[in-house]
Amino acid sequence: MADAVFLAISVLTIGSAIAALEVRSLIYGSISLMGTLGGVAGYFLLLDSPFVAMFQIAVYIGSIAVLILFTVMLVRRQLIFFKVEDKRRRYAGVGLMLILMVALGTIILGSGIKTIQTDASPVNFRTIGEDFLTYYWPALILMALILASSVIGALTLARREDMENEQRTN
Amino acid sequence: MSAIAPKFRFSYFIKSILDNAFWAVTLFALIGIPIMMVLFFYFNLPVMNDKLTTPYLMLTTIADPSRQIPLLKSLIHTDFFRITAFPGFGFAALLAAATIFIERKMLAKLQLRVGPFYCGKIEGILQLAGDGLKLISKEIIIPAKADKPIFWAAPVLFVATAAAFVALIPVAGGGWVVADIDVGLLAVFAIIGFFPIITVLSAWSANSKFPFIGGIRALHQMISFEIPLILSVLGVVILTGSLNLSEIVQSQIHYWWIVFLPIGAIVFFIAMLAELERIPFDLPEAESEIVAGWLTEFSGMMYGLVQLGSYVKLYAFSALFVVLFLGGWNGPMVWPPFPEEIIKNGITMGPITARFPGLPLLDQQMLNDTLWFVIKTMGVIFMVLLPRGVFPRIRIDLLLHIGWYKLIGLCFVNIFIALGLLYAGVLGPGGIL
Repeated sequence: MADAVFLAISVLTIGSAIAALEVRSLIYGSISLMGTLGGVAGYFLLLDSPFVAMFQIAVYIGSIAVLILFTVMLVRRQLIFFKVEDKRRRYAGVGLMLILMVALGTIILGSGIKTIQTDASPVNFRTIGEDFLTYYWPALILMALILASSVIGALTLARREDMENEQRTN
Repeated sequence: MSAIAPKFRFSYFIKSILDNAFWAVTLFALIGIPIMMVLFFYFNLPVMNDKLTTPYLMLTTIADPSRQIPLLKSLIHTDFFRITAFPGFGFAALLAAATIFIERKMLAKLQLRVGPFYCGKIEGILQLAGDGLKLISKEIIIPAKADKPIFWAAPVLFVATAAAFVALIPVAGGGWVVADIDVGLLAVFAIIGFFPIITVLSAWSANSKFPFIGGIRALHQMISFEIPLILSVLGVVILTGSLNLSEIVQSQIHYWWIVFLPIGAIVFFIAMLAELERIPFDLPEAESEIVAGWLTEFSGMMYGLVQLGSYVKLYAFSALFVVLFLGGWNGPMVWPPFPEEIIKNGITMGPITARFPGLPLLDQQMLNDTLWFVIKTMGVIFMVLLPRGVFPRIRIDLLLHIGWYKLIGLCFVNIFIALGLLYAGVLGPGGIL
């Protein structure tokens, strides 16, 4: 059962990843990207970590894919992209990806991952939270600072002095 | 004599009904029963009266009510029933239909109109059925330059997402929920994230100005109000220590979280109005500015599906408010117990005594829970509908200003209140209350 689901998710993920690259329409491309990200969430569900899966869906599909969709819709693509039909680039890309996948596959298969017991109980998300607040607290604070500084930076960049309150003065 | 059916006679009408009934019975006897007999071999039939049901016994239930009750009982506890009927989609759609009628009638009363009045003699009670029939019988028109696959899929996906949302809501104690998962609240937010995608895709696919403007507005609004929506429930999660919605309800058995976290409840309510595109936040379908917003190009049953989905979503959000802040199904026992005499002696009518072994069908606790849950949910739905008769539409810059500045600030106040209560040892795991 799990194998069949795994195969289905793999086909969905890889298929929609290829479609996201190859489809001419940008909208359909971003929909396929959502399929890929959803497939990754499916992997997390198979790995008994629904917490990560739900965050994967909420953050990647619910926010990032929406941002991509938003950008694609608001931008006239003729202005920024031009089609360069270059067969050699495509074959080089496919070849590079195959080499990468084979290399990664040999490394992962040689690393003894097969000896991991698969019937271990799923990690409770409360444990993850406790670990974050106790053992990994410097990392948590570092992440918080980076996020806060990026939010402040984005707000500073988006601020426009020249449009100050013409509409909403009264 | 009408022009549409010039040779109409009432007797012809009766005759056609009888004809249809005759053919239905004949075809069922000749084809339907054999197919049922074949299909029953493939189902796991329940145990009735200490006997495993065979397909032959299954057919005898048509004539024997004492076998129907155990059959119904076993049906009620199947997953199929949960998904389609009680805590799942059927229940939600029923409440959504009631909501539509109440909304029209209540708005009319607020504005000193009469509202739906003629259908069904009593206060226009059949108006909704009439509207449904009208929508089903209308033609579905698709714009010539629309992106057809997305345009067709969007209403169906909208309803499906709303139904998935409903599946996470626990309605009564004892596991009356379709999907009782440990990370229920996170799953709710993961599902809410799909609504802006579907909205903006359907708006884009219509290839028309008004839907596109409406879709972009909906995207702005939903994305920016998702953040206060998520932050406002953090207080409940901190005090409960759980993301499971059933556990959150059970933690409110003595007091509701709205008592301690009123700011969170208010922020959640406002963000909920914005997510639902209700007035005063109905910019995506502002009918006086952009026709009907992202719904402009939908017609016939596609429009009906989107409306159904949005009202099911309204029910789901109100139920989530009840689960998080108003104590869910908790309430005093008011449901009367099932009469003992019927269980013992059966119903006596003159010379005939009918016995019904296996009653009651549902236990008292569950019915009481459902009663309280429905009462609270209808109360919240009423509060969601009320602004429509009172407030004007808000401007988009004010809307985004409220979302990004005020609500998020209030959310942090709420979180600090929750943390204060937790660290003071008042509430939460190991608290004094």
